[in-house]
Amino acid sequence: MLVSAASLLLLVWVFPLLWAILVSLKSENEVLAYPPNLIFEPIAQNYKDALFGDFSIVPSLVTSTIVAVSTTFLTIVLAVPAAYAFARLRLPAKKTLGFYTLATQMVPPVGLVIPYFLILNRVNWLDTYQGMIIVYLTFSLPFAIWLMVSYMEDIPLEMEEAALLDKASRLQTLWHIIIPQVRGGIAVTVIFVFLNAWNEFLFAVQLGGNTVRPVTVAMYNFVSVEQTLWAKLAAAALIAMLPVVIIGIAAQKQIVKGLTVGAVKGGGRR
Amino acid sequence: MASLAGGNGDLNSGEKRFAVLLTAPSLLVLLLTTTFPLAYLVWSSFQTINLAMPFLDGFAGFDNYIEMWDDSRYWHSIGLTGIYTVSSVSMQVVIGMGLALLVMQIPQGQWIFRIVAILPIVLAPVVVGLFWRTLMLAPNFGMIDFIIQWLGFEQVNWLGAPVPALISVIAIHTWQWTPFAFLVFLASLASLPTDVYEAARIDKANALQRFWYITLPLLRPAIVIVVIMRAMISLAAFAAIFAATGGGPGTATEILNLYAFKTSFIELNFGYGSALAVSLLVITMVVSGVLFRLRTARGAGGN
Repeated sequence: MLVSAASLLLLVWVFPLLWAILVSLKSENEVLAYPPNLIFEPIAQNYKDALFGDFSIVPSLVTSTIVAVSTTFLTIVLAVPAAYAFARLRLPAKKTLGFYTLATQMVPPVGLVIPYFLILNRVNWLDTYQGMIIVYLTFSLPFAIWLMVSYMEDIPLEMEEAALLDKASRLQTLWHIIIPQVRGGIAVTVIFVFLNAWNEFLFAVQLGGNTVRPVTVAMYNFVSVEQTLWAKLAAAALIAMLPVVIIGIAAQKQIVKGLTVGAVKGGGRR
Repeated sequence: MASLAGGNGDLNSGEKRFAVLLTAPSLLVLLLTTTFPLAYLVWSSFQTINLAMPFLDGFAGFDNYIEMWDDSRYWHSIGLTGIYTVSSVSMQVVIGMGLALLVMQIPQGQWIFRIVAILPIVLAPVVVGLFWRTLMLAPNFGMIDFIIQWLGFEQVNWLGAPVPALISVIAIHTWQWTPFAFLVFLASLASLPTDVYEAARIDKANALQRFWYITLPLLRPAIVIVVIMRAMISLAAFAAIFAATGGGPGTATEILNLYAFKTSFIELNFGYGSALAVSLLVITMVVSGVLFRLRTARGAGGN
């Protein structure tokens, strides 16, 4: 009884995905059959078209990879030292700066896409990788700092003290003692930043173009141009989402931990 | 919070200098990439910037804000933003909580639920919007349409009529993000101390009483965090609605976020679009301020 009720709810979340997989294996004629056929001969043509056809999504996959990987790398390099200082060191005006970082995270993206369009237009950086990556830092960096702080706070204090008594320099302490301790936290942060950058749409659709067209925009354009080729859309979308689904399933434990890191022990935090 | 050096002044100032050095790059980047564009946004909200009629461009004073005050489409979008946020966040919390309580009772196989719950969360909202627009809701094709007719109900033009379209975009958002609430609540439930429950069982408290007087208060921090995080995301929701309805039919699903976007990038009226975005920014700040105050007030009284 319990299990069947829960399973029914489960189905609500799996079904659209299973359905997309089924549709992606049908011919366009088969797709339009109503009521839908559950028994049909599966074909791979839609996937071939999505990868090698006229509207191949491969260039977009490359673009998304470049943008997401660069954003993730820059974010981590900037966020980890900052989070360490916020969590463990005496920092002048720490409260104000911490609040500032948190506040930047809450800015609605539409409030940024408008000025960025005008600014990037003026400096001719619309539809460029550097423009897109800078914009992506606006949501990834505050989030990464905030997430890393909660991991930094969990390191036992004695670790650093021991290192300081050995007269190791502060930078060496950070590099040799702290960073190995928060490797798990860094992994979680990398996953989240990558997922968010890969899935981003609002900035991509307005600040990108023919050179920088991430998969999310390619999917959207596909529907606008090819109104009814839904089997091809399903195939292309499933390919585009394959990386994040794989990461999601493989790193399921880390993601849940990242989602709940603030919530579960939330009571005691500022 | 924690600090290493005790009374040594030299060590202290060294530590401070080091801390400034570590945070400076991030803060500088945030200043340049977030604060500067926001200042630019506020500036442009006091300008007439219309790419369709550039000869009119210039300082506008409060004109954009005055126009906003008299703009029924603006107030309509505010109302929709409220309906969208309140209904989807409360459904996420209630359904997520119910599902978490249910799954907690299942002795084996909880991992299947965790895996399934991850899937909607990692999907791009724009893809979710497209899937629902085509595979789920399209007339004479979508699965929902098929089920509705199979059950003997009238066919509904889900995305083509105002009220069903609003219900649809709320349902899509709720579908994608309820697993988030579910996973947070599941983890919180698993971390609750078991001894209070045993004490309650000895006191012969029934399941409902145990939930109301023990579980719910213990989960309050998690609930408040989920509400804060989801409300922020909901206020700024864009891609799924944009992909599913584009704000339509007419303005039936045009929340403030979409209105600001369309005014800027479709009507090319960047001055007015900026003013709309500024108002969304202010609303977001007020809502988050209220929610955070709620959180600290309750946390102080609760524990």
